[in-house]
This record gives sequence, C-alpha cells and structure tokens, in this order.
Amino acid sequence: MQMDEVLSSVAETIKNFAVIYLVDISEVPDFNTMYELYDPSTVMFFFRNKHIMIDLGTGNNNKINWALKDKQEFIDIVETVYRGARKGRGLVIAPKDYSTKYRY
Amino acid sequence: MEEDIDGDIEDIEALNYDDLDNVSKLQKSQRFTDIMQKVEAALQNGSDISNHGMVLEDDPEYQLIVDCNVLSVDIENEIVIIHNFIRDKYRLKFPELESLVHHPIDYARVVKKIGNEMDLTLVDLEGLLPSAIIMVVSVTASTTSGKPLPEDVLQKTIDACDRALALDAAKKKVLDFVESRMSYIAPNLSAIVGSAVAAKLMGTAGGLSALAKMPACNVQLLGAKKKNLAGFSTATSQFRVGYLEQTEIFQSTPPPLRMRACRLLAAKSTLAARVDSTRGDPSGTAGRSFREEIHKKIEKWQEPPPAKQPKPLPVPDSEPKKKRGGRRLRKMKERYAVTDMRKLANRMLFGVPEESSLGDGLGEGYGMLGQAGSGKLRVSVGQSKLAAKVAKRFKEKSYGSSGATSGLTSSLAFTPVQGIELSNPQAHAHQLGGGTQSTYFSETGTFSKIKKT
Repeated sequence: MQMDEVLSSVAETIKNFAVIYLVDISEVPDFNTMYELYDPSTVMFFFRNKHIMIDLGTGNNNKINWALKDKQEFIDIVETVYRGARKGRGLVIAPKDYSTKYRY
Repeated sequence: MEEDIDGDIEDIEALNYDDLDNVSKLQKSQRFTDIMQKVEAALQNGSDISNHGMVLEDDPEYQLIVDCNVLSVDIENEIVIIHNFIRDKYRLKFPELESLVHHPIDYARVVKKIGNEMDLTLVDLEGLLPSAIIMVVSVTASTTSGKPLPEDVLQKTIDACDRALALDAAKKKVLDFVESRMSYIAPNLSAIVGSAVAAKLMGTAGGLSALAKMPACNVQLLGAKKKNLAGFSTATSQFRVGYLEQTEIFQSTPPPLRMRACRLLAAKSTLAARVDSTRGDPSGTAGRSFREEIHKKIEKWQEPPPAKQPKPLPVPDSEPKKKRGGRRLRKMKERYAVTDMRKLANRMLFGVPEESSLGDGLGEGYGMLGQAGSGKLRVSVGQSKLAAKVAKRFKEKSYGSSGATSGLTSSLAFTPVQGIELSNPQAHAHQLGGGTQSTYFSETGTFSKIKKT
C-alpha cells in the first residue's frame, strides 16, 4: 500500500520519461515464475522491452522488492535507470546504497 | 534707485525698494479689477448651461475662464514677489523664520500675527501652522538675532501681508469659479480627476491648452510641494505627487500601489486634457471610459498571482548543458590544466629508464623530467595560451615584428651540480605540444631550423 501511494504520487512528475504500470500478481500470474514475483511489492524497470538491472547493494539486481518511503529517492532511481538505459547500459548503479536496509 | 524700474512687474531684480507699489502692481491694474468683477457676477449667477450650442471660442464665459487661468498664474507670481518683499523687510526682526515657514501665505499670516513682538509665548500661532512647526518657531525665536523693526517699516510689512492675503483670497475665488464651470470646460478631465483638482491643474498650468501641451510626467508634478524642513522625517513624505494626490482614485488605492496609480492617472488625465482642448468629446464619455480603464487596471494589480501548477520533470539529458566559454572560464580551467612538468613526467624516452622517487624503479616515476636528452635542467612554468596572446601583443607593440626572444628572459640556467649551462628557454617551449597541436602555427613557437651564426 505504501509503495502504491509513492508510485501514484510520483506518476505525474515523471510522466515525461517513465510510465508506471500496476499489476496484481494474483490476477495476472503469468510472469510469476519468470520474474520470481512473490514479495508483497516488486518494482522492475523495462526500457524498450529490455529489462534493466539496478545495483542496489542488496544482492538482487533485478528488482526493488521492498516499499520505498521517499518519493525523491524513487524519482532518482528512475532517472538513473533512464539515463543508463538510454546509453545502452543493462546495469545501472543506484544513487543510494540499500545494503543496510534491513538494519533500520 | 527705484527709478530704473520700467513698469515691468516681473522685474525681481529691483533692489532698494522701499514701497511695495513699485514692484507689485497687479492689484491696482485695471485688468485685475475687471476680471474679479466678472467672476463675482458669474459666481452669483450660478451655472448657465444654455450656451451649450454655441461654438466655444465665441462664448464670453469661455473667454473669461481663459482669462482667469492666466490671472491665477499672474497672482501666484505676484504673491511670490510680495513674499520676497515681506521677507526682506522682516529679516531684520526674525531672520530664521523664512527657512522654517516656506509657504508664502503661511509666512504672511505668521508675520502679521507676530508683528513686532519679541516674546513668542505671548503670540498664539494655533491654526496657522502645524504644532510641530509652532514649537520650532517658538524655540528659534527665543534665540533669534533679530531686533524689533521701526514703526514705519513694520507698517509697510503688515500692509504687504494684507496684500498677499487679499491676493490669495482673490485666487481662491477665481479657482472656485473655474471649478464650477469645470464640467463645461473640460468634461473629460473632470470625469477622471474631479472638478476641484481639474481646476487646480488648469490654474497652475495656465490654461487648458497649456495643460494639454505638457507631457504626463509634468502633469504628475503640478502642485508638488518641494522642500522638507531639515530635521523632520522624510519617511512620510510622498515623492513626485502633486495635485493628483487629492483625487478620489488616488486616495482609494492601497499605499503600495500609489506610485503606479499616480503615473497612470497622470497619463490618462493628460490624454483627457488633450481631448478637451480640441473639444473632441463635449459629452465627457471619453473621460468616463478612461476612468473605467483606470479602475480596472487598479483592480487587476490587486489580484493575487495565479496558483502554482506542479510541473512534471523534464526528460533527463534532453536539454544539453549550457556550457559557458570566454576568458574567465579559460583562466579558471588553466588552474587545473595539465602543466608542462606533469606532461614531461607522464612521458618516457624509449630505451632510457626513468628516475623515480624511491629510486630503482620504486615510487613515482619522473618520466622525462630531468633527463639529459631533453636539454633542460629546469622545467620552466610553461606559458599559458592567454599569457602567450598577451605577450605576443606586447611584443608587437614594443619591439615590432619578429622578436623570437623577449629581451627580459635570461638564457642562463644555473644548476646545483654543474656550472652554468647556457640554454634558451624559448627554444624548448614548444617541445611539448599536445599530439593534436601543430607547432607550425604555435604562438610561442620559434623558427626551428634557423640557427644564430
């Protein structure tokens, strides 16, 4: 729910370079095995049909599988992904390190 | 003494006049009495609207109004002359009064009240002046250097004061008369600023056509009071507003917008005066539309600004960064540029082991620094490009064309180990160009093959 709130408030601001799709994995279970979707919330990034990986420091570069609280953080991540993907990179480095996320 | 006056009442240069009549002739003149009589009669008759159909210039009332305007200007000049007279006479008694009370009519009233009295506590100036000024006057009077006047001089001075006050009363009558006819004379102007102010403006300008010829900035300043007394605060005084300050529109605008409103009023009233002077709109509709415009504009200024819309972010990297250029930036970049020393240290000669800081290949290598083959024992600070341009211009100015060396650089380089080694620093200045730079066109480069014999 918290992630949904962040996403909806951010959608208008980043509409010039990113579009947000909300998918209920209980209604559309087709990709659950392919992308290993079983967390409460998962955010994945795609650019021109290519999956973009982000180095968040958590060990899993494919997705963000926790709820981000800060809108600005999320916008930063999206912008980094956009910049890197436009240059052709498959892996971008997130501006903030989340390896200590579970400590706080 | 007084005989050189040729009857010109504007002659203010008259010195040594003893009698007021020599300089102030207006009240005795025929013209004055004629016009005053007509004005009295017209004031008693009330307004006469039946002459609307007549062409304006043939209307005797219009002619009277034109005369009144000229007369009011003359009366003002006359009052100034009489004020000078009173001041000169009263200087012996109370010299500081003229700098405390500026307005001529107020001055005349105060002089009349004080008379020859030396002790100002016995004189009641209430109602003539603001209380602050009364206080200052009383204090100054107690320390004044003046002496009481002789009786005849005093009598002349009091007469002059009476004259000034009479002239002032006459001027008021004239203005009242003009004001009552204002809506007939200048309907558009009085629609905007009101008939009282319109009459005052016309009176000061000296007629409707004179008012129409003035630029709007002058109209704004008609009737503006000039000096503030020294020591009184200037925070409350309003600059650059004259009679327009008394208009209803001005009084009803909030104080922060008053300057803009004043300018707007002056502009529109000048336009209205021009319309009126050519009788382009006798019904006054132009004036009323101007008034509406002014109201609307003032309303608009008081509107709150539009609410801020949240803007979406621009696409990242879509707008190229604004790169600046120019001399300032180049000089700043020079501070971080790779110096010649560093360039030398970065390169190595082929087949020659470089020296290093810890010796024997350990530590930082020195590259071509200090190598015998480079021909240099000391690396001079390379000339920056800007300095090169400046040096080139300096050379051209002072030495003429092809100075390969400036006369100030020494060709000696001293080393701690060996003795003197003669070398020309300029010769190796272009040794290190970047790979992309051609030394053919270098500004610091010299001829490479020509040897001095």
